[in-house]
This record gives sequence, structure tokens and C-alpha cells, in this order.
Amino acid sequence: MAAPDELFCWEGDWGLPSISTDCLVVLAYAQFAGAPLKLRKISNPWRSPSGSLPALRTNQKETLSRPSDIIIHLRKQKFNADYDLSAKEGADSLAFISLMEEKLMPALIYAFWIEPKNYVDVTRRWYAEHMPFPLNFFLPGRMQRQQLEKLRLLRGDERLEAGEELEKELYRDAAECMNLLSQRLGSHKFFFGDSPSSLDAYVFGHLAPILKCKLPNGKLQQHLKTLDNLTNFCTNILQLYFPKDGRGEAHNSPRQKPPRRRKQFLSALVALGAMLSYALLTGMVSIQHAHHEALEEPPDLQDIGSHHDHEDEGDG
Amino acid sequence: MSLAAEAFMSQMAAAEPWPENATLYQPLKEDQILLSDCASSLAVQAYLRMCGLPVQVFCRANAEYMSPSGKIPFIHVGNQVVSELGPIVQFTKAKGHSLSDGLDDVQRAEMKAYMELVNNMLLTAELYIQWCDDSTATEISRPRYSSPYSWPLNKILAYQKQWEVRRKMNAIGWGGKTLEQVYEDVSQCCQALSQRLGTQSYFFNKQPTELDALVFGHLFTILTTRLTSTELAERVKSYSNLLSFCRRVEQTYFEDKSS
Repeated sequence: MAAPDELFCWEGDWGLPSISTDCLVVLAYAQFAGAPLKLRKISNPWRSPSGSLPALRTNQKETLSRPSDIIIHLRKQKFNADYDLSAKEGADSLAFISLMEEKLMPALIYAFWIEPKNYVDVTRRWYAEHMPFPLNFFLPGRMQRQQLEKLRLLRGDERLEAGEELEKELYRDAAECMNLLSQRLGSHKFFFGDSPSSLDAYVFGHLAPILKCKLPNGKLQQHLKTLDNLTNFCTNILQLYFPKDGRGEAHNSPRQKPPRRRKQFLSALVALGAMLSYALLTGMVSIQHAHHEALEEPPDLQDIGSHHDHEDEGDG
Repeated sequence: MSLAAEAFMSQMAAAEPWPENATLYQPLKEDQILLSDCASSLAVQAYLRMCGLPVQVFCRANAEYMSPSGKIPFIHVGNQVVSELGPIVQFTKAKGHSLSDGLDDVQRAEMKAYMELVNNMLLTAELYIQWCDDSTATEISRPRYSSPYSWPLNKILAYQKQWEVRRKMNAIGWGGKTLEQVYEDVSQCCQALSQRLGTQSYFFNKQPTELDALVFGHLFTILTTRLTSTELAERVKSYSNLLSFCRRVEQTYFEDKSS
């Protein structure tokens, strides 16, 4: 077979293989279907072939961005996790995926990007710490504006702002959606039978960030934790299909120190350089004048001294 | 609608029975209304007929602006105004009329999921075909949408609406899709609905629910609306049980008008 396709996705954290829902969906489906993908975990979306993450670069140098497109491509390559599904189960998959996109995704966008405390304390901090200089200054803000615009367009309200009422509505819809998913899952291991399918990938992708990320305003997480079967579903998939990432939770913090030191040193250098150049542009000129004056001064002094003498003589 | 307003509305709704002079507003049928709005309006009309609630349909050119949420259709019942199928279903429920009471939890979960499927795929596809496909937008959507207005307002409003819909398509990831891919999505959605319906009369066996009303509204409108190409109608026609479903609902709930 030809070389495997390359998948660019966001880095992982909090025990997850990736922090983004779409990336998690694609990663989970690839694991379920046994598709060999060359993973490139990056934290700079500008280095991905399509400018956003996730992105799949196929053998034919085609770039796919939407999770649904990537899954269809993998299916065409005979990596099909939905092979055993009956037609009705396939129809149910489509319906429940639509349900999640309409009811759960807006709440996710709100919880991570729009809710002020969550955004400042967790999301923006994570992206600013992980993105390279100088993207970390403006890209998180731009991403937040894009997400706010997306939420506004989804709700059809141009003047949407973060607020308690909006939060209650979105979280209520999300809680209802999670309840419906929990009812559908029941006590089964996966949604359809004993092997996972694309619906399991989508549910995992949406619920895992809620479950694992500690947000200051964690109402979604509280509700999810009351639904035991969904919680077990997520932890099960993490243990079975992403064992390395689950243990990676403790390893992330030491890795942050060296880049931080380097960034501090760089910032100190830049500050010093700025001050020196300012001094050069304004102070150095005067320093040079002092030089010339210093050279000229002795003769002046002598002149003045002789003048003084003359004056003194004149006066006296 | 905000939660406090919803709770208030439920309380008010429960207080009075359904009046005789309830009205439904939609844009002008002959000249102005577009595919997606017509589908939503027909879905609400079908739902109200299935509940046995009488309603008069009024066509107004400014229906979209009268609506509290900006979406068509909306109903004016007593002294309350409610728009869109979801809130209208809750409103009638508060008045004691409901079609989905007989469903158990799993079935209700499936019903809600399939309603979201129709909203997510069929409605979005209709909006895409209307506003993002250049030939349809130029020949049908823009002229119809702006027909009640004079120059230059008609141009401004039409382009404003088109721009708004295109932004929404980009935000939800449909901006990069081709027309062929959109037709594929419609086929997939119809296939899912056809699978779910199977050989039954309605989606949940003997009694129609709001899902039946919603599916009827969209499919019947697609089958009976003339667009620049017949591809969309052809895609729906290839599922025979959906065709007979539409015919059945039409005969049961809409033909008593003529007889």
C-alpha cells in the first residue's frame, strides 16, 4: 500500500489525545477502523496544509478539513468502522450526530470560548502557552472572535453576548442532549453492539473534553458526571484506544519549563535591545556632543581663564 | 426564547383553551415565499391539523419582520405570538394538546434526534440551494424575496439576506461544499428517513407525531416546488415509501378542505 495519509491535529492535554472535538472525532474513528495514519500533533494551525486543524493530507496531495469528509475518505480506503451496522442503525447514527451538532456543540463553544472565566483562565491560557511566538499574542483572540461569530450565526442572533440567560438555555439543551444519548446507550458498551462505530467517535469527541478539562464554570461537567454510562463510555474508549495519552497527563508540566525559560530570556533580550536603541537614538547623540565638548573644553577653559585674567586685570 | 419568558408563556398558555380565531402568518404564497419558509410553514400547518386545532393562514409581505424570532412561520393565538415548530409544539403542549405523549423515552429520544436530522440536513440543504447556488439565487430567490419592495430596497434586502445565509453556511462548514455534495447529503438524509419509516404508516407506527409533520412539510414542498433543476425532487422521489407517506398525510389532513 502507498504511504499512509498524514493527519495534522491539535496537541493533547488533560489526558486526551487532542484538545479539539473535531480532532478527537477523527482520531477515534481512525483507531476504531484501524486506519494507519501518520499523526502530526502540532499547536500551530498555520503549519497545517489547510490553515485549520484537523487536516488530512492524502496520498494524492488533497487536503480534507471537515471530520465528515475525512471519515468518508477513510471509508473509501476500506477503513470502515460502520461495516456491521444495519441500515436502520446507520440512519440512527446520522440522526444522533445531527442532534449533537445542533444541541451539544453550541454549549461546548460557549463553555470553552465565550464564558468569560473559562476563556481567560483555561482556553486562552492553554493556547497562548502552546502556540509559538508571535502567534500566541493574537491568534487565541482571533479564534475566540470566530467562535463567537459562529455561535451568533448558529443561533440567528447577531447581538448575542455572553450572559446568564444564554448560558442557561444552551446548557439546558446540552443537558437534554446528554440525557437522550445516555438513554440511547443504556447499559451497552458501545452504541451499536460490541464494536465502536462512527457515532461512538462523534459522541467521544464531544463528551471527552467536557469530562476531562477542569473549567472554573463546570456545569456541563457536573451534569455529565451524573450520567454514569456516558462517563464510563468515555473512560473506556480512552483506556482501550488511547492508553499512552491517558498516562501523559502528568508528563506535560515539566515540558513547559524549558520553553518558558527560553521565552523569558528572549523577552529580556528584546527589552534590553529596545532600551539600548532608545539610548543610542537620543542619548548617544548627546554623548557624542559631550565628547566634542570635552575635546574643545580644555582650550575654552584656557581662553576663559585668560579672559578672566584679562577682565580681572581690567577690573582690578 | 429565554427561560423566564418561556415559563411565563406556558403559564399563560395553560390558562386558556385554543381559541377559534388562531392565525398563522407566512409570506405571500404566490410571489414571495421561498422553499425553506414554505416547508417550515407547511410543517406547522400539518402539525396543527394533526392535533385537530383550527388555524387560519394569512399571507403578509412583512411576515418575517413581524415574527418574534425573525423566522417563519409564527402563530397568533389569543394574545400570544409564537414562532417556529419547536416552541409551537411546546405551546400546544402547555394547552394540553400533544402528539408524542404515547412514546416511551427511547422513542422520544429517537424522535428528537430525527427532527434535528431534518433541521440539520434538509433545511440547511434547502437554504444552500436557494442562496448559495448562483443560478437559483439569481433567477428565483432574490426576485421572489424582494418582490413586495420597490427599487432600491429590493436589491439591498435581497443581497443582505443572501450575504447572511452565506456567512452562516461558512460558519457551519457548508461553505466549501459543492452542489453535488449537497444533493448527496439530501439523499443520505432521505435514505435515513426512509429506513426509519420502513413500511409503517407513520414514523412511530399508528399515530403521527411532530416528526411526521416536519418531514411532510419539507418533502411535500420539495416535491411540489419548481426550481431551476429537478435534481432535488428526483432525489426525494427515488424513495417510494416517503412518496406514499406524503400522499397519505396530504389525503388525511389536507384534502378535507376541498371535500
